[in-house]
Amino acid sequence: MKKLLLLFFLTLSLLIFITACSNDAEGEEPEEDTADEEQQADESTENEETNEEEAMDEKVEAVFWHAMSGSGQESIEAIVDNFNQSQDQYTIIPEFQGSYEEALTKFRSVGGTEDAPAIIQTFEVGTKYMIDSGFIEPVQSFIDEEGYDINQLEENILNYYTVDDQLYSMPFNSSTPVMLYNKDAFEEAGLDPEDPPQTFEEIKEAAEQLTVKDGDNTERYGFSILNYGWFIEELIATQGGLFVNNDNGRSDEATEAVFNGEEGLRVFQLIDEMNQAGTYGNFGSNWDDIRAAFQTENTAMYLDSSAGVAGTVENAPFEVGVAYIPYSEEAERNGVIIGGASLWMSNGIDEAKQQAAWEFMKYLQSPESQAKWHIDTGYFSINPAAYDEEMVQERWEEVPQLKVTVEQLQETKPSYATQGALISVFPEARQQVVTAMENVLQGTDPQEALDQAVEETNRVMEQANRANE
Amino acid sequence: MKILRPTITYLLLIMTAVIVFFPVVYAFLISFMSGAELLQGKFIPESFHLENYQKAFERLPLAHYLWNSFFVSTVVMLGQLIVSALAAYAFVFIPFKGRNIVFFIFISTMMIPWEATMIPNFLTIQQLDWINNYQSLTIPFFAIAFGTFLLRQHFLTIPKELKEASDIAGLRSFKFFWKVVIPYCRTSFVTLGAYGFLTTWNMYLWPLLVTNNDQVRTVQIGLKQLQTQEMASEWGVVMAGVIIVIIPTLILLFLGQKQLQKGLAQGALK
Amino acid sequence: MKSTAELQEKSVTKIDTKWRFIYWRSAILYLLPSIILFSVFLFYPLGKTLYLSFFLTDQQGNANVFVGLENYQYILQAESFHKSIKATILFVLYTVPTGVIISLFLALLANEKIKGVGIFRTIYSSTMGISVAASAVVWLFIFHPSMGILNQLITSIGGTSIDWLLHPNWALVSVSVTTIWMNIGFSFLIILGGLQNIDDHLYESARISGASYFYQLRRITIPMLSPTLFFVITVSLINAFQTFGQVDILTQGGPSESTNLIVYSIYREAFVNYQFGTASAQSIFLFICILIVTILQFKFGERKVHYQ
Repeated sequence: MKKLLLLFFLTLSLLIFITACSNDAEGEEPEEDTADEEQQADESTENEETNEEEAMDEKVEAVFWHAMSGSGQESIEAIVDNFNQSQDQYTIIPEFQGSYEEALTKFRSVGGTEDAPAIIQTFEVGTKYMIDSGFIEPVQSFIDEEGYDINQLEENILNYYTVDDQLYSMPFNSSTPVMLYNKDAFEEAGLDPEDPPQTFEEIKEAAEQLTVKDGDNTERYGFSILNYGWFIEELIATQGGLFVNNDNGRSDEATEAVFNGEEGLRVFQLIDEMNQAGTYGNFGSNWDDIRAAFQTENTAMYLDSSAGVAGTVENAPFEVGVAYIPYSEEAERNGVIIGGASLWMSNGIDEAKQQAAWEFMKYLQSPESQAKWHIDTGYFSINPAAYDEEMVQERWEEVPQLKVTVEQLQETKPSYATQGALISVFPEARQQVVTAMENVLQGTDPQEALDQAVEETNRVMEQANRANE
Repeated sequence: MKILRPTITYLLLIMTAVIVFFPVVYAFLISFMSGAELLQGKFIPESFHLENYQKAFERLPLAHYLWNSFFVSTVVMLGQLIVSALAAYAFVFIPFKGRNIVFFIFISTMMIPWEATMIPNFLTIQQLDWINNYQSLTIPFFAIAFGTFLLRQHFLTIPKELKEASDIAGLRSFKFFWKVVIPYCRTSFVTLGAYGFLTTWNMYLWPLLVTNNDQVRTVQIGLKQLQTQEMASEWGVVMAGVIIVIIPTLILLFLGQKQLQKGLAQGALK
Repeated sequence: MKSTAELQEKSVTKIDTKWRFIYWRSAILYLLPSIILFSVFLFYPLGKTLYLSFFLTDQQGNANVFVGLENYQYILQAESFHKSIKATILFVLYTVPTGVIISLFLALLANEKIKGVGIFRTIYSSTMGISVAASAVVWLFIFHPSMGILNQLITSIGGTSIDWLLHPNWALVSVSVTTIWMNIGFSFLIILGGLQNIDDHLYESARISGASYFYQLRRITIPMLSPTLFFVITVSLINAFQTFGQVDILTQGGPSESTNLIVYSIYREAFVNYQFGTASAQSIFLFICILIVTILQFKFGERKVHYQ
């Protein structure tokens, strides 16, 4: 028996090895595709096809690294597919690279070389890093060369990625935070479901009424925020507060974090007070968890990304309302900073590949592509013309809440605060803010928690500046 | 007393087995549920429809990933067996000077946290131009101290007389190795093979770092691709992915369990 | 007589030096693959890590500012690294003894000679075949605050639902539970193998003299099993120090850095914050810790081990 097993293993592995090697030589394996896998067909088969085509008419291939998984990946691959079929000069090859961080890590190592992808999707907080890296070609150079009219795109999104009057990357998946609330719960608690709370004070009062307790057990909390730095940044910005000095790093290199000012403190105090009053539900740092909590009516109001609105509205067994994110009554409402990611073009690669990347970027901006993207994923359309497309209008009729997210973005007042901070160590800063938030939820004094986070952020900023001088 | 003891044993066996196996069963059940059923917090799905599995396969080239995982794991398994066997042979049958020191150095590599070497290794792979290659997924893992250790422990139990007899019979050392050592230590080889296969199959961070496209990606990365960040995850599909990923290794484990257990025990004992 | 003996001795030493060389040569041949691979993928990177730990790195990851021991000074005084150390120690304490005891218990059960025990052995060892990524995802759902089965069970019997992954104290426990579950398969298999190697005669004579089950356990099983247990504990310790995947999937080191185990902290420093210098310093620190623990274990643990 033992002998047999061993023999079996050895022959099997040998066989595999040999077949695999011969397969490698041919470049591809015979596919096990079934007929019903059309659109999302195996990428390798796609590559195979494109290889063949290239041999025939010399198409330019450009690799596109993205970090979209799940339905985002499906949609992006469909759009790329459409692009590849819409013309016969270029082929874009989409490749998933893990999370934004992981994709960026890999890019760091191949950046500036021939191996670099033509396009890489990078999250918004990586903007400063990418600009400084020297591995990228600002899309502005192509815009200037071609006289491409960029003004058709959403101004408030462009603002984020424009640094020193140069548009460095092409905005892509863009989202902003919004507040989602349970309309049925509002009615039940005697609140007007058409008039959601606007300010911190109003949130506090509404949450008081919305919270349902059963002895020690809180069945429903009034309000929740995901433990994610982005939401804190937004709540500070909407009050007009800055995250770092030198106008959020926009007028000059940021040297100090300032998010522990009065605006930041107000946000943390709100969380702290509500937490102590038992009206604030903590559902951790996982997007899915807080959404599930809302849908199972464990929390009545929460902040979510605009990209998550459609899914939540459709899945929730109750009427969902969407509102602007709240602001402090001691400040004015300024609006929101754009979140999400943008597409960067590598330098150091073939010009033909850059051209392919640029053509693809332009294709992406088209109202049709953007309409599809907006509907599939819930991310904004970066081209407002897409909102007039029939498919979007139909979708909005189905889910009118989506409109609120767009309005909030379009009403945003352009300023340094809402333009968003530029810091090379942003990921670390964000992590510090999350830790501070979690500490406050465990009872640390808000000011103390914020000061600690600022101190840590300053240290890494200083260190990064030292290393890069 | 005579009846009581087996009854208690069975009771305990069943209870613990249910607990230990529960997560797998749970994942299995969830993989058949729709999003709404999940939200209602059901435990048993209403019907066993395969929609989630279909989605998982549609979304990703999972079959290709499975093949890659299988190939990479098999190559690593073979590589580890050969490299470790050679080293273990030297440690046992060749009385060279400094043997103990070299052996200690080998064993000490077990203590180097893999993450501590990850960054330079990644750069090495890149310089070798092994990114997106099967080499980068296999060759760095061929040498494994645990394997050398395990085989050495078993080789030590080969009676000295056998070696002496073969020396007298004029067997060259390779022949001795092939004819005597391998048959004598089959269990250890099977054990190490299974161990190598399983650990390679389960690798996660490294394949993600050194592969950029679907050609050579392994199935654990597929699992990661099924989860999402900013948009809602479909848990049913994710769990379907989990089941797809664990079934091959579970089958392997069920088949080789006895050998594995014997071999591991021998390694641990001596 | 005398001369022949001398002659013999001479030839023996001559052969010795000749053989020594042959041994050396063949040993090197046999060891060469391992030596090359270890050098390229373990020793060289370890050396490089040590080197990087004395530098600040720029955004491309190049070491360009020599700072001496500053990285070490920083991590040793930084509160967040203290938290990491504390979390790692707690994690080791939570997982290693519990994991070994549970596996031992299961192995004792599965070592009973009764019908159908094979199925149970297979089930107990099954977790070895489940990858870190897969098991962590399943447990993530089990711990889910509202949809997860654990909280549903608790609330259905009238308890207060627990913030498994959200409260700093519970989060580490949850990650530990997941880890213990994942490691049961491997430990179980080894311990069961060890149990089966114990000579049956020992039990027979104990039974004849009327010793109770627990007496046998204490006086025969545990001592005879000690080398196996020693091995399991060593491997579990090393594994516990190197835990990464489940933290990444379950908690990302939070809340309040309570599950930010050292390896995860290294990963974050290196791949999220791009501070290869501090990350390397942490790696070296971890290496030294594991080394010390292993040496201590061999020094004090092996004394208690009973060899046949």
